[in-house]
Amino acid sequence: MLEIKHLSKQFGDLQALNDVSFSVQSGQIMGLIGQNGAGKSTSFHSILNFLKYDGQISWNDAPITETVFNEIGYLPEERSLMPKLTVEQQIIYLARLKGKAAKEIRPKIDVWLDKFAVKGKRTDKIKDLSKGNQQKIQLICTLIHQPKLLILDEPFSGLDPVNVDLLEQAIFEAKKQGTAIIFSSHDMGNVETLCDQLIMLKAGRVVLSGRIEDVRSQFGKNHLFVTTNSWDYDRLIKLAHVTAVERLADHRYLLKLDDPAVGPDLFQQLTNGKYVEEFSQQAPTLDEIFKLKAGEPNA
Amino acid sequence: MRKLWIITVETFLRQIKSWSFLALVIAPFLILVLSFGLGYINYSSGESSNKIAVISEHSALRKQFIQQNKDEVKASVDSVKEAKKAVAENQITGYVIFDTTATRVSATFRGGQTPEVQIKNQVNSFIVQQQQQLNLANAKLSPDQAKALQQQPQYNEIVHKKTGRAKIARLISFWIMVVMVYMILITYSSITATEIASEKGTKIMKIIFSSTTAGKYFVGKILGVLLVILTQLVAYVVGGWSSYLVAQHMSFTKGFVNSNQDLISQVLSNLLSINLVFLFLGVILYTILSAFSGALVAKAEDATKAAQPATYLGMIAFFATFPFQNNADVMIVKIMSYVPFFSSYFMPLRIIDQSVNGWEVAISLLILIGSIILMVQYISRIYEGLMLQTDDTSFWKRFKRGISYQ
Repeated sequence: MLEIKHLSKQFGDLQALNDVSFSVQSGQIMGLIGQNGAGKSTSFHSILNFLKYDGQISWNDAPITETVFNEIGYLPEERSLMPKLTVEQQIIYLARLKGKAAKEIRPKIDVWLDKFAVKGKRTDKIKDLSKGNQQKIQLICTLIHQPKLLILDEPFSGLDPVNVDLLEQAIFEAKKQGTAIIFSSHDMGNVETLCDQLIMLKAGRVVLSGRIEDVRSQFGKNHLFVTTNSWDYDRLIKLAHVTAVERLADHRYLLKLDDPAVGPDLFQQLTNGKYVEEFSQQAPTLDEIFKLKAGEPNA
Repeated sequence: MRKLWIITVETFLRQIKSWSFLALVIAPFLILVLSFGLGYINYSSGESSNKIAVISEHSALRKQFIQQNKDEVKASVDSVKEAKKAVAENQITGYVIFDTTATRVSATFRGGQTPEVQIKNQVNSFIVQQQQQLNLANAKLSPDQAKALQQQPQYNEIVHKKTGRAKIARLISFWIMVVMVYMILITYSSITATEIASEKGTKIMKIIFSSTTAGKYFVGKILGVLLVILTQLVAYVVGGWSSYLVAQHMSFTKGFVNSNQDLISQVLSNLLSINLVFLFLGVILYTILSAFSGALVAKAEDATKAAQPATYLGMIAFFATFPFQNNADVMIVKIMSYVPFFSSYFMPLRIIDQSVNGWEVAISLLILIGSIILMVQYISRIYEGLMLQTDDTSFWKRFKRGISYQ
């Protein structure tokens, strides 16, 4: 288990992290969200000992030292490999630095190249691969030694939807094998699909944390999706406790409520005992929560 | 230790597999082979055309001259007709016709050009000798008189060869040494700085530092480069020694090697001594400095600039030795022979000059080794900071931020 307690970090006058605490269990995926400069990468750098920090960071109740590095897979935000090496040389070199023997890794390379649908051979030089394929090689380097703790800094940025899907599958596979995974992303869609838990940082502080459902529920089910032929915008906006109406498609509307408890009353009014195609009362999306929290003044 | 070794081997293999390393090792031998080859061509083409033919009706006379001057005579030519043909074909410079009457020995040279002085002298001394014998025979002297006439004057030559040679040997050793230090140092400063700056430019360091410590990585890189330097030095020593052995046996170099045996031995003993240790340690120190300046570069494109501090310092030290090549006993040389970055040039200068004792050499070595250890320790500590900050600010700002990175 990765455990972070009261983590703080100051760069000159800038308080980059302020009393951040959270933990990630084995077999669990944690999403770290926040605007640029919120402290996500600084958190990762602290976990990896790139920085000196205040607070405590431990992996399986022991401090993170070089001996633990073999159990960590890290994908930094900036994509980088050694351009003059071949795919095989690059993967083996980094795997050996993670304590794996070359003979153990060599037979796995083709399997991973297939898994990520890399267009290129193991004998190709890194510099001869396309940017997308280089990115896949870097992902393979992060995963091939089967880490117990996976740290992914913006892993989805620059990937097309097909490759996002491949990466999601790889992350789920690692989760199944009991890996503790922490990743940062600006795309709340990825976070919602993958994460068991999330942490939102703002100006170095934790402003949201918990299971995805719990976080969304904190904001109440004040979003009502309705698809109906009988009601139009002008009538919907006049309903009691409806603060705004958004037309999403033909006959499909999003009603924002000032009190989630009025759901049953509205159901009665809108359906009048008759069939409606859609009546769904939901909490706000992560995307909306992110924007809402990001827009709040700093504490 | 295992990871340190992986980094060392990876750095070593990457360097020695490169074309530039191969070129670096082979180039001096290629130049050597080329100059040997040209020398041989020149020697062998000169060998036949500088020869002469000897023709005489008196076969004993001819035979005697050929026996005394085997290397200068083309013995297969024994008639005027053949000799004329050989001259026309440029196989010989000309031919000598020996003749003898009852009272006079004569030699006539015929050819397209004047014979070499050496040949002329040999022919002259031969006919003088023959004439003397003829004169003695004609004079019908008693044995005692004949003996008295054969008495030769005595010429003595006393030259203090050792002193002169030692001086030349010192000068040659000095030049070989400083040029070797300079060349190796400049080459590896550039290689190390470029390698580290390029790595920093690719931003792979975060992945590396998530696998091993920055200090271990830095030491691994330096050890890798040192293995490359050692490989090059071993290649030079083995190649140089082999060339020396070959030169001892090749006909056109044998003479030079034999007549300069003393000089060559002295130069070799000057080079294959503690001076090599100074060379090696000096290169280590400059390599560390280059690695440090490579780590200060912000972009891969600036990699070539990274070597400049070490290169300039190396150049200053190199040129600073020039005024003292015949004057190694002055105070400034003594001081510089203890100052790291300079001692690798100045201490060998004093050692070659034999103006330093063992203690002084040991102290200078200790200072050099101490500086290396301190530099490695300090840079290992700040290396992570230097390699992980990639903002494109000024050199000094990056330097300041790098060393205070926490």
